[in-house]
Amino acid sequence: MSASVCGQTLTDGLMMPKKNLCTGFMYTHDQWTDYWEGELKRDNGNIGKITTQSLMWVGNYGITNKINVIAMLPYIKTKASMGTLQGMEGVQDLSVGVKYNFFRKKFEKSAFNTFAVLNFSTPLSDYTPDFVPLSIGAQTTNLTYRLTAYFKIEQGWFINASGGYTWRSNTTLDRPSYFDGNEFYTSDEVKMPNVFDVFVSLGYLKNGLQVELNYIQQNTLGGGDIRRQDMPFVSNRMNAIKVGALVMYYLPKPKHLAVRASTAFTVDGRNMGQSTTFMGGALYTIQFYKNQ
Amino acid sequence: MKSKFYIYILSSLFLTLICVTGCDKSIEFSEDLVPLSPGNLDSDAASWSMILMTSPDQIAVPAPADVASDAYKAELATIKDAQSKITKGQQQTIDYWSGGGVLRWNQIFRGLVAKYNLPPAPRADGTYPAPDAENPFGDPMFPFSNPPYAARAYSYVTNSIYDALKAAWHFKYLYNRPAPYKVDDAVQALVPETDLPAYPSEDAVMSGAAAEMLKLLFPAALEEITKNAADQRNAALWSGKASTTDISAGLALGKSVAGLFMARARTDGMGAAGGNKAIWEALKLNASSRGDEPWVSLETPPRPPMLPVFNKVLPWKMTYDQIVAIRPAAPPLRGSAEMDSECDEVKYYTDNLTRDRLAIVHKWADGAGTYTPPGHWNDIAAEHIRDASFSEVRAARAFALLNMAMHNAAVACWDTKYFYFNARPTQLVPAIKTGTGIPNFPAYVSGHSTFSASAAGVLSYLFPTHSSDFEAMATEASMSRLYGGIHYRKDCEGGLALGYDVGEHIVETFAKVDGAD
Repeated sequence: MSASVCGQTLTDGLMMPKKNLCTGFMYTHDQWTDYWEGELKRDNGNIGKITTQSLMWVGNYGITNKINVIAMLPYIKTKASMGTLQGMEGVQDLSVGVKYNFFRKKFEKSAFNTFAVLNFSTPLSDYTPDFVPLSIGAQTTNLTYRLTAYFKIEQGWFINASGGYTWRSNTTLDRPSYFDGNEFYTSDEVKMPNVFDVFVSLGYLKNGLQVELNYIQQNTLGGGDIRRQDMPFVSNRMNAIKVGALVMYYLPKPKHLAVRASTAFTVDGRNMGQSTTFMGGALYTIQFYKNQ
Repeated sequence: MKSKFYIYILSSLFLTLICVTGCDKSIEFSEDLVPLSPGNLDSDAASWSMILMTSPDQIAVPAPADVASDAYKAELATIKDAQSKITKGQQQTIDYWSGGGVLRWNQIFRGLVAKYNLPPAPRADGTYPAPDAENPFGDPMFPFSNPPYAARAYSYVTNSIYDALKAAWHFKYLYNRPAPYKVDDAVQALVPETDLPAYPSEDAVMSGAAAEMLKLLFPAALEEITKNAADQRNAALWSGKASTTDISAGLALGKSVAGLFMARARTDGMGAAGGNKAIWEALKLNASSRGDEPWVSLETPPRPPMLPVFNKVLPWKMTYDQIVAIRPAAPPLRGSAEMDSECDEVKYYTDNLTRDRLAIVHKWADGAGTYTPPGHWNDIAAEHIRDASFSEVRAARAFALLNMAMHNAAVACWDTKYFYFNARPTQLVPAIKTGTGIPNFPAYVSGHSTFSASAAGVLSYLFPTHSSDFEAMATEASMSRLYGGIHYRKDCEGGLALGYDVGEHIVETFAKVDGAD
């Protein structure tokens, strides 16, 4: 694997070498007009198009060649194109994860790697979770554990598959009672169902070019449906299947700088918007220690 | 070998972290009830003023069999048999209802309001169907328990429970039949013992009064209502508190009292409160002829105004003319300097919606999918009523006074809103983006403010040592509407004043002279 490759995500099969830091910013633009009210697809003139923009700092540091620490911190801003509701904005959740390349096997013309990831995230600001779809997050502390397998052949083609399970803490509302779509609770505390996700990508990575097609599935393991004409609720069963593409290019000059662009489209969902997402960013690799 | 070692380290780290943070997601409830053990049984409650009944013996309850009779002994045997094989589930039912039937029904009721507080979805052609009591399971479901509907519903259920309990108290002390656990030592008391006579059973009275009333108001919740009512009666039997005939007499009495209230509910004007196109047009014309901008729905597609003829729904212990007499003076007209500065203030708050103010907005929003502002005040009252260890009949009185005031507040507020039919801030200044949904009815005066002040007035009378808390809460609820951009300051202040007037009416003309204090 080339030393200049910048592993950036918790789901990919790439690692930063020891004492290398890959850091940068990603801008995301996500919007949807249609959404799934439970399983019923509809639009809603009282919100129109929901746009979510975020600017996220990301850093991935190689503690060793086999252990990376990945941190992320987004600033998020939401807006509805119709209706009267205010958008929200603010610093969302700090995420810190450890990615461990616990198994490596090299064959003559290919390589197989597996990774375990433990990721922790927690809100860094006191944003409200109780304003879906305009709230910027669920205000929960999350713990994800994930396993990833990555297989690459000499010509540059690779396949990557990752599955994650996220435990979410309860969240707290500003009100003393709520109806979650199924039941009424005399509490300000909401039990948040856990989430399971799958990420599969198929692509090419060679000579400073990374291109991939990917499939993302997220299933919330519990929670109520949005009822007919109801507002969504923070603990809804939010499921989505997305397909996407990613291009990352390591510029010949300046060295160590990579640009990245990706897109994703929601093909199916439940209690979520049918979003189209574009992401663009730049990442820079700093080598504190040359190990090769 | 080395990588295996790492796997062990990592996997044990995972497990530790998961279990430290992950094993417990149980929720803390704010309204846990302890077994009711009232300080005073209120044996004179039958002499307290009735709401709708003409006298506590208006509905006859036949004399019970003597406790020495074979028939009654057979009833005792039934209880002992039930207690000998009590299950964990039955014990839980007893514990649940031991918290007090009045408080439990209030909780159940708030849950029903929250569940049914959902506006109908538009049809494909942009019109909205009206919820239909004859088709409660359809789309839209019936009812749409919006704030006026909820205020009225809370008052009917709490009033029918209250009158039924006073009637029960009359017969309890007329016949003086003790509780089974007092008659027979072999009957265990699985709830705190009291000297309250058991015939007719107050639990069965409540189950009948509450369930019948609720079935009329929330017909689609039949199953949940009926199950709770049966549970309450079973808990009374299993706990050694009431015998089969205590319960059957109570149930019959409760149902009959509910029948009186149901007859009133069917002819109280609610059926016509939705109005029709001609009425909606007339309201518009009325506002424009005063020189004001008539209200329009800010929903897409536009929704007909919520219950414009609710002002004609019968108030409690008050007349329509008395409601009209306290109607606030007109709000400032659109385009006036006064209205411009009102709009500027709303704009300021929505442009500067701080996290603290947003929390206040959301704390009191009580919009769709919630128990509504009247429900919120029942929630507030419930904790005080629980802590006061009231007898069931006195607890029922507290809820009845509170909910009569809030029903009247709904009538008076809706009267004012539709008399003036003025625009919400966002209608006049579209750049005002709100921190919560804008209710689909005119602005002046604020419903939250009217409900809250009427409730604070009654609760201050009931719990005078907490009056400053209630007033502070009412003011906060009122201001939350300005902070959220839903209302002008004038709506909030006018609503508070109107609400205090309405609350005072119930306190002065009814509560203070009903014989309970």
